[in-house]
Amino acid sequence: MNNPIVSTQALTKVYGQGAAAVRALDGVNLTIQAGEFVAVMGPSGCGKSTLLHLIGGLDRPTSGTVWLDGQDLTRLNDDQVTSIRRKKMGFIFQFFNLIPVLNALENAALPMILDGMRPADARKRAQQWLEQVGLSHRLTHRPSELSGGEQQRVAIARALASDPTLILADEPTGNLDSRASEEIASLLRQISSTWQRTILMVTHDARIAAYADRIVFLKDGKVVDETILEHRNGEQAEMVADKMKEIGD
Amino acid sequence: MNLYLTLAFRYLGGRKLRTALTTLAIVFGVMVIFGMNTFMPTFIKTFQTQAMAAAAQVDLTITQKTGEAFDPVVLEKIRAVDGIEVATGPLERLINLPADYLDKDPQTPDRITAVMLKGIIPQEARQMIAYNIVEGRFLEEGDTSAAVITRSLAREFGVEVGDTLTLPTAIGLSDLTIVGILPEQILPGNEVVLVPLAEAQRLTNMADKINVVDANLDSMEEARRNEIQQNVLAAIGNTYKIGALEAGSEILTNIRNAQSIFNLMGFLALVMGGFIIFNTFRTIIAERRRDIGMLRALGANRSTIRWLILTEGLLQGIIGTALGLVFGYLFGAFALGLTTPLWQQYLNLNVGNPEISPALVLTSIVLGVGITILSGLIPAQSATRITPLEALRPSMGTVTFKRVAGISFWAGVVLLTVAVGILFTGSISLISLGAMLFVGAIILMAPALVNPIAVLFANLLTLIFARDGTAHLAEGNLSRQPGRATITASTTMIALAVVVMLAAVLSSVALTFIQVMEKSLGSDYLIMPPTLAVWGSNTGAAPQLAEELRQVPGVTLVSTLRFSASQIKEIAVGVLGVDPQSYRQLDLLTFTKGEPEAAYRALENERAMIINGVLAAAAGLQPGDEVELLTPTGKKVYRVVALATDYLNAKTTTAYISQRFIEEDFDRREDVFFQINVAPDADRKAVESAFAAVLKKYPQFKLVNGKEYVEQNARMFDAVFLGMYVMAAFLAIPSLIAMVNTLAIGVIERTREIGMLRAVGAIRRQVRRMILSEALILSAIGTAFGILAGLYMGYMATKAFEAMGYPMDYLFPGSGILTAIAIGLLFGALAAIIPARQATRLDVVEALRYE
Repeated sequence: MNNPIVSTQALTKVYGQGAAAVRALDGVNLTIQAGEFVAVMGPSGCGKSTLLHLIGGLDRPTSGTVWLDGQDLTRLNDDQVTSIRRKKMGFIFQFFNLIPVLNALENAALPMILDGMRPADARKRAQQWLEQVGLSHRLTHRPSELSGGEQQRVAIARALASDPTLILADEPTGNLDSRASEEIASLLRQISSTWQRTILMVTHDARIAAYADRIVFLKDGKVVDETILEHRNGEQAEMVADKMKEIGD
Repeated sequence: MNLYLTLAFRYLGGRKLRTALTTLAIVFGVMVIFGMNTFMPTFIKTFQTQAMAAAAQVDLTITQKTGEAFDPVVLEKIRAVDGIEVATGPLERLINLPADYLDKDPQTPDRITAVMLKGIIPQEARQMIAYNIVEGRFLEEGDTSAAVITRSLAREFGVEVGDTLTLPTAIGLSDLTIVGILPEQILPGNEVVLVPLAEAQRLTNMADKINVVDANLDSMEEARRNEIQQNVLAAIGNTYKIGALEAGSEILTNIRNAQSIFNLMGFLALVMGGFIIFNTFRTIIAERRRDIGMLRALGANRSTIRWLILTEGLLQGIIGTALGLVFGYLFGAFALGLTTPLWQQYLNLNVGNPEISPALVLTSIVLGVGITILSGLIPAQSATRITPLEALRPSMGTVTFKRVAGISFWAGVVLLTVAVGILFTGSISLISLGAMLFVGAIILMAPALVNPIAVLFANLLTLIFARDGTAHLAEGNLSRQPGRATITASTTMIALAVVVMLAAVLSSVALTFIQVMEKSLGSDYLIMPPTLAVWGSNTGAAPQLAEELRQVPGVTLVSTLRFSASQIKEIAVGVLGVDPQSYRQLDLLTFTKGEPEAAYRALENERAMIINGVLAAAAGLQPGDEVELLTPTGKKVYRVVALATDYLNAKTTTAYISQRFIEEDFDRREDVFFQINVAPDADRKAVESAFAAVLKKYPQFKLVNGKEYVEQNARMFDAVFLGMYVMAAFLAIPSLIAMVNTLAIGVIERTREIGMLRAVGAIRRQVRRMILSEALILSAIGTAFGILAGLYMGYMATKAFEAMGYPMDYLFPGSGILTAIAIGLLFGALAAIIPARQATRLDVVEALRYE
């Protein structure tokens, strides 16, 4: 593999000023290849969410660059970054973040409609993905009528439906019980293996991280270690947990 | 459906109560504006159709500026002007019919309440207007008591060609023989009765007089026609004008004033609606920060977010405006129905259904939808500033106690100083400016005052019921968002200011008017024509009637009014001829300037006049001034001897002169109103039946017991005032909605804090009490400001009335203040219900997790 989708160079983010300044990210260099499933782990406050936000164009770095599919996001204005988010990225959030007044199908079709696709086409494509993630029987249910796991599946279908270059998942199982967490983790694995999507996932759960191809460990805003997993089906969770202890979880 | 609409509909549907309450604010504003503007023009149109003579289809109509009759010599002068092809001089007089004259049924109002008696010279008239006779024949030379009437009038009277038509006239009931029928009148109101000119002069007691000249010109060219018009005016003098007869223009001015007051109320209601929408959208944005952030994360750009919010506003605006139009129509129809007896009693009018003009519909839509969208703009703009990160990285609402005594506070102090200064200048032209400055000053100063006032009221509440610290928590919650508290309190302030102002004005008006009324209608009996105040449209009675009344055993005094229209410096003036001696004996006028005895004496001996305040203000006159009064025979100089008013003419520009001079200068001998006193020991029943017998020949007059009439009028005052109070209270409803919204935003923003309070041991009742305290403090702030602004505006308004010439004593609106406090506190408590329930139902664990 030598086809980077994401590449960050000396990525730095500082919050606050003067004595109160906090260096959330400190010169991070990270490359993600097309089709790769990368998990970012680290103790609380290590900067993993900040890294995800900067790569997702949700926040601006203090210095350094973020390249996505050949474009430097740090040089684009808000509208241009918004357009890239819409066309090239899919987001999966910890709290699902579905629009409560729209049903599963409408939620999954939302990014495509925002991108100007005909609503009927968008819904058709959203339905295909909802069926792929096992929700064909829940299409017209509103978020309040779905379980946490089901809501996250809708969010995953929404992230996939616009056929993005990169899927960003921020603690996707952080709000789920262990059974639902495992289901979501294996679904993400499937997305990478079967549908060849690139995934960058932030998690603090070793069992979930163990489904990735590669784990990047952050501490105090810096990349301190990297592990390439062999099995990628959760079996190496203990090893990942040990590694976390090593770097001081 | 388009994404914007889908989301807008679903979000609105998800908060049904709030949507309903917010939309209600729009509905209310549009309803008042639309309703009043359907009601008033309908009334005005009917009034104009009936009370004002319609101009005939001729090139030129010439009348006396005052509308009075004149010598036919004027017609000859006009005929002599080069370019006049043909001219004729009719005598037109509106004859108000007594109530139930046609159907004799008091339950159903008559469709026709007045007819236009038009005296013509048949041959001349047909040269001017092609009268189309559908049955019988037209008037002919040599006809005496013959009449041609419209088909619709014939049907209403139930008469045909050859039958007799009986009309009340100045010489008593008179019979006319119908010789011909004109086509149907499309609108009821200006039914014409054509009679020979000499007959009209006899029936109206106006021998050898005409009051209109109709002329056709020999040229169609604009410049030439203008030249002919100028030549006509030059030939007959400046006491004449080009244009049809008008009567009651003073009343119309009053109606138009009322209409603008209602428009102002409607606009105020809409502005408050705007405040509410503004607040509601801020609530919406606060609630949906996460949704909006997520949409941004998914790729919605700023303009998409802006349109999402504005679409919701647009939908609410459209729905609210549509409902407002429907309710407005019903409101207009209801108001017309409710006031019909009043119009019938005082102006002898039957008003039809509300009138709707396309321009009115368009204006209402533009205002309703426009204000909604405008109010949503700022919140929509703030929504676009929500970053996608807010969907991912939850943050607690930041609490900043801003420094608020900044520029706006000091600007407010300056405005307040100017407003108070205006109060002392007593200048009428600055009154409305003063009121605006005062309200503006309070709004500017309010953010800085919210904190100290909140502390004060919180201490009060602690003393009264919230001893567990919840009142102080509430006070802190309000003080941290002084801007929001100010906007909410401002809506309460405007509403309650209107209540207090109305209370001040109405109680002052009531006090003064009832005093004036008791005095001016204090005689034992009144004999009234169908229309009061619009005297010119009444058919009076020759002096013989007053004589007959004097002869009735037991009668000690009969005082009559005679009327003529006139002008002072282009201002329309109603001239009332009184008999100074009997008028003084009955003591009917309330004097504000001048000495009554001397004034009455002057009236008897010279061309002197007592004028009312409205005329004094309009013409800038004072006792001692000499002024030219326009009469049918030219201008006559009269000396103003006093300022005084009576109840019936208090609102119209009126001058009182002696009957001797109204006869000499205006050629008026008909009595239009009678006031009679009887001996204390007189047999009332016998007196009343004797009056009835005398009045049989004059059905246009109605006998009324003075005391009963005063009581009846006082009751009507009460009803009208009650209606005004209800309107004002209605105006307070939007402030209730504003408070509910502000409290709801507070609860949403502080979900986590409330969860924490519950976690550390606050029981549901304490949380409820905290929200209630917040509501009460908020409404107390609004009420306090409202009372201040209302007192200022009320005082200014009474001063304005005084300056306009109405007799007026300022009455401190104690009851209005109590009402305002009651409304304020009640609405405060009501506003707390929903948000308090929302807060107490929060699940503690969920609330603590809420971000």
